[in-house]
Amino acid sequence: MDNVKNAGDNAGKVVMKTLPHSQDLKWPMLWWIGMEKIYRTLPWKKTAWTCAAFPIELMWIYDIFPDHPENMATVAAARKQSQRLIEHAESMGFSRDLCSYCKTNIGAYDTKIKKTLGGISKPDIVVCTNAICDTHWKWFQIMADKMNVPFFMFDIPKWVSGTDEKTLEGNIDYVVNQFYDLMAFVEKHTGKKMSEKRLNKVLEKSTELSNLWREIFEHRKAVPSPYSGAETSAAFFPLVVLPGVQVGINFFKKILADIKSLTAKGEGTMPKGKEKYRVMWEGIPFWYRMRFMYDLAQYGAVIAFEPYTYSFAPVKKKCLTMEETLRDVAKLIMDTPYAYNLERRIENFEKWIDEYKLDGVILHENMSCRPSSAGMVDLAEAIMRDKGIPVLILQCDMNDPRAYSEGQIKTRVEGFVELMEANK
Amino acid sequence: MKKLAYVDTSHEMPLEIIIAAGFIPYKIMGDVHKSNDPADKYLSNFFCGAAKSWLTEALAHAKDWAGIIFAQGCNNTNRHYDIWKVHIETPFLHWFGAPLLDSDAARKYYRVELQRLINHLEKQFDLKITPENIREAIGKSNEIKKKLKNLSVLRSLKDIPNRDYLAAMIKCLTCPVDEVSAWLDAEIKVWNSKPAFPADKKRFLLTGSDVTYAEWMDTLDDCGIRVVRDDLSIGERFFATLIPDANDPLDALIEYYTGIPRPATRPTLQKRLDYLYQALQETKVDGVLSQNLKFCEPYAYDSVPVNNALRSRGYKVIHLERDFSPAADQQFANRLAAFVEMMEGGNNG
Repeated sequence: MDNVKNAGDNAGKVVMKTLPHSQDLKWPMLWWIGMEKIYRTLPWKKTAWTCAAFPIELMWIYDIFPDHPENMATVAAARKQSQRLIEHAESMGFSRDLCSYCKTNIGAYDTKIKKTLGGISKPDIVVCTNAICDTHWKWFQIMADKMNVPFFMFDIPKWVSGTDEKTLEGNIDYVVNQFYDLMAFVEKHTGKKMSEKRLNKVLEKSTELSNLWREIFEHRKAVPSPYSGAETSAAFFPLVVLPGVQVGINFFKKILADIKSLTAKGEGTMPKGKEKYRVMWEGIPFWYRMRFMYDLAQYGAVIAFEPYTYSFAPVKKKCLTMEETLRDVAKLIMDTPYAYNLERRIENFEKWIDEYKLDGVILHENMSCRPSSAGMVDLAEAIMRDKGIPVLILQCDMNDPRAYSEGQIKTRVEGFVELMEANK
Repeated sequence: MKKLAYVDTSHEMPLEIIIAAGFIPYKIMGDVHKSNDPADKYLSNFFCGAAKSWLTEALAHAKDWAGIIFAQGCNNTNRHYDIWKVHIETPFLHWFGAPLLDSDAARKYYRVELQRLINHLEKQFDLKITPENIREAIGKSNEIKKKLKNLSVLRSLKDIPNRDYLAAMIKCLTCPVDEVSAWLDAEIKVWNSKPAFPADKKRFLLTGSDVTYAEWMDTLDDCGIRVVRDDLSIGERFFATLIPDANDPLDALIEYYTGIPRPATRPTLQKRLDYLYQALQETKVDGVLSQNLKFCEPYAYDSVPVNNALRSRGYKVIHLERDFSPAADQQFANRLAAFVEMMEGGNNG
């Protein structure tokens, strides 16, 4: 127990050997920022706001720049801006209990902060889905109305526990029909038309990007872990806004080559012999406090797997016909690991625990994401019962630093580490 | 006749299918007077108290019901369904995927979901739900809606305590339709015989989250507030429109359920505002009370643009966020009383 406490005080601090990709990540980021400038300068180019689980590829197919309020909200948090933006939104009347991404975005737009601090500009159209949560469409609709911009939402049926194949087919039909509604919407508001040739080209690149990320995850099964959640949480950026373009592919190829080199030497992200506990992190990270992931290293814990960044890599592939392709994409939108129903969540978590040889699971009970947090008690009980490893439920928030209590979280983490140690 | 219970955050559940199947549709609304301890085990402290109360009620009473149907409602309904599937013992648990949109695609999907519900009921209970059964149920449903509308109109004309209207709504959502229909006839007579609208009360429109207990209605009355219009699901949304005639009764249900006044769980904001504007045009009110149950996200999102829109039209609006609790809250009462005092003699749109 004393060892655990001393570790937390950073006695003999463990420095993670993170792969030097921050320099490389700047290229896809600069490319994306530069593209936005070009798209906003040329009158025939268009821009859109999109959200997680929306098939971003569609925007690239239409030659529409996909801006991403959630992504910019995380930038604001990392740049220590989110609290003031959230408080600004609350001063406008939005409740403390609402999503902190949403409030960061509302605050960022209203205060017109710089892009580098998490700012975001008015788009030509707003498109979203409710695949992850209804917050997305509520938030995007409010902002579309505020900005006086056309709004489109995909209504994604819920894949609840026990859904059978026949019901699933009906759900897919509904989503596919909405693809045609989206095509009509885009054509009406931007004048742009769907090109099957471009659809196939973009999907090829999207498939390559997702496959590379999945290959990276295959290598993460190695012991010691060559690539931790601390690294993936930044590196997955291309999956958010760049599926379908080349720049992210180059970046992921570089990561993969470095990971292969590490695993070939039997090395990991932690110094030799320091990796003691392999942990799964479920939920969105604390973007304002990414140091949390590095703090875990002081206890010998590495985040070896997280469903969250894995969720961003569905393999959207080109099928024989456009209809088949759309059906495949429709199913993938509903099949996001982050939004798995309780039964599928338990089944997949237990599979990942075996595959990644995990010693414990941290569930982020995110006050800004009730859909993700619901069912966590049952999930934790199932994992402890079936896999016999400890589970820590941490109640906090992804973008609102006011929810983060340093001392309390440290105490909970130390207790969790002790349980993992006792379980060895 | 047995009750078939349903979870519905607004008015998305096609009750007529339940009636056509020979069951009493019973809307699960929980009991604010009972501790939510059983549900607290499965849902954290930042989840809606009403949803916890529904789960608590089901944990205690599911054995008395023929089954439970969930209609897709707010942000978390599907997640709650998953939790109920683990913990509630019931022979019949069905997910009804009510679409959020009202487009052609949504209507097609609505038909698929209606048929799936019918098939599941027929298979589970070994019965046949015929178009005639559904037509008959639609007739009964419309009868209730017409009577409720007649009753509702009396709120702005007679001395009807807020709790009486809520009690009438709850009865209509939990009791056998034939019993309710006869009761409504009698109640309309009783309400008609009441004294005129009291001079010392202010007329209000109530909007926002549904509150299912009479104590809150009494607090409003005590503060001089009479709710004469609303856009609640346990309220006008339930009877604002009638189920239309159609050759195919499923077409009639699709038309009705995709066309009712929109709750905050369904787009668009403008459609929701349109109903509020219409109600405010039809009935002169002194103010608007926007209420938000703690952790009820859809209405919390809407409350800012909706209240701003109403204020921009000159309506006096007060917004309150309250816990799911019957306890008297003097701070709220003071705020409401001060608001009523402030509007004395004021211009109100």
